[in-house]
Amino acid sequence: MQTHRLVIQRSALLLALAGISVLISGCESTKVASPVVRFDRQTTNYGDAKAVELVTNEFSSSDLQLIAEKMVGSLLETGVFQGRPTVTISTVKNKTSEYIDTTNVMNSIQTALVKSGKVRFTRSIQEMQAGVDELTRQNQSGLYKQNSTAKVGNMTAAKYSVEGELTSIVKQNQTTKDVFYKFTMKLFDVSEGTIEWQDEKEIRKTSKR
Amino acid sequence: MTGTNPLHKDITMTLQSLLLAGVLAVGAAGPALAQGGAGVASKLMLRGEANGVQVSEMRMARRADVLVVEADILNTKVDNRTVFYRFKWLDSSGMQVGDGESWKQLTVYGKQSQVVKSVAPNANGVDFRIEMNVE
Repeated sequence: MQTHRLVIQRSALLLALAGISVLISGCESTKVASPVVRFDRQTTNYGDAKAVELVTNEFSSSDLQLIAEKMVGSLLETGVFQGRPTVTISTVKNKTSEYIDTTNVMNSIQTALVKSGKVRFTRSIQEMQAGVDELTRQNQSGLYKQNSTAKVGNMTAAKYSVEGELTSIVKQNQTTKDVFYKFTMKLFDVSEGTIEWQDEKEIRKTSKR
Repeated sequence: MTGTNPLHKDITMTLQSLLLAGVLAVGAAGPALAQGGAGVASKLMLRGEANGVQVSEMRMARRADVLVVEADILNTKVDNRTVFYRFKWLDSSGMQVGDGESWKQLTVYGKQSQVVKSVAPNANGVDFRIEMNVE
């Protein structure tokens, strides 16, 4: 009788163990690995590129985005780009005390304007050498069929030229630092030398020290 | 500058007046955007509590073939509020136009109304939403 009870207890224990193992395997099957390459202890993650960046009060990705969006919106709504005119990027001056890649601001503005389909950009002064090199390679290397080469002297000149300037005013005391940025952008008619459009973006950033 | 350009055919209308008319139409090719008292609410994607902040009015115009939207953000409380917002532009199929705007931080002082504005990235933008949260 006692032996029979022992057998029943053993069977119950085995069943319980089997149940637990099924449960564990069931839990494991729902936990999948994300397709990332990193060490377990690493805490790097991709964030929202459009989020407001408040790490410091120096020139930030958010400032770049705010400037670009304001300038593009202002240019598009004025109607100065009627007839898809040609535009080139001229100088972008950084008159702040910070190192800021102002070309990046202009790149964002140019990208948005090109995607709007309202304007055509020609090579800027900085981009011209690469274009000249390619024309020279096609026409003077003797490597290409004559009827397939890009002809020299066919470039379209820009009707408008864009110039920008970034300035800042920094004020600070023992507790507070205030930075005021102002980005000014002008669209010149190259032929007439007149300003056809101009706008500004002001940004104030204040932080406790 | 925009006010003097003859090319600009401003057809600005407030949603309030449009709600009275019962339809919101923007330009000859513009879609009907809002009907009835839900006009403003249908354009607003509020994340969390409004904390006394509301979009009191929206205006829309087509300028040089692109849509321009202005919204009045009103703080009904006496305390200052920090509002995070961005506009989202949609084409006639409801697809997002462009890469999406960056989030903007805006301080609205107590009992103050601030105007926020956005221009569609191109002529395909025929509808919009305002994503917003309030701290």
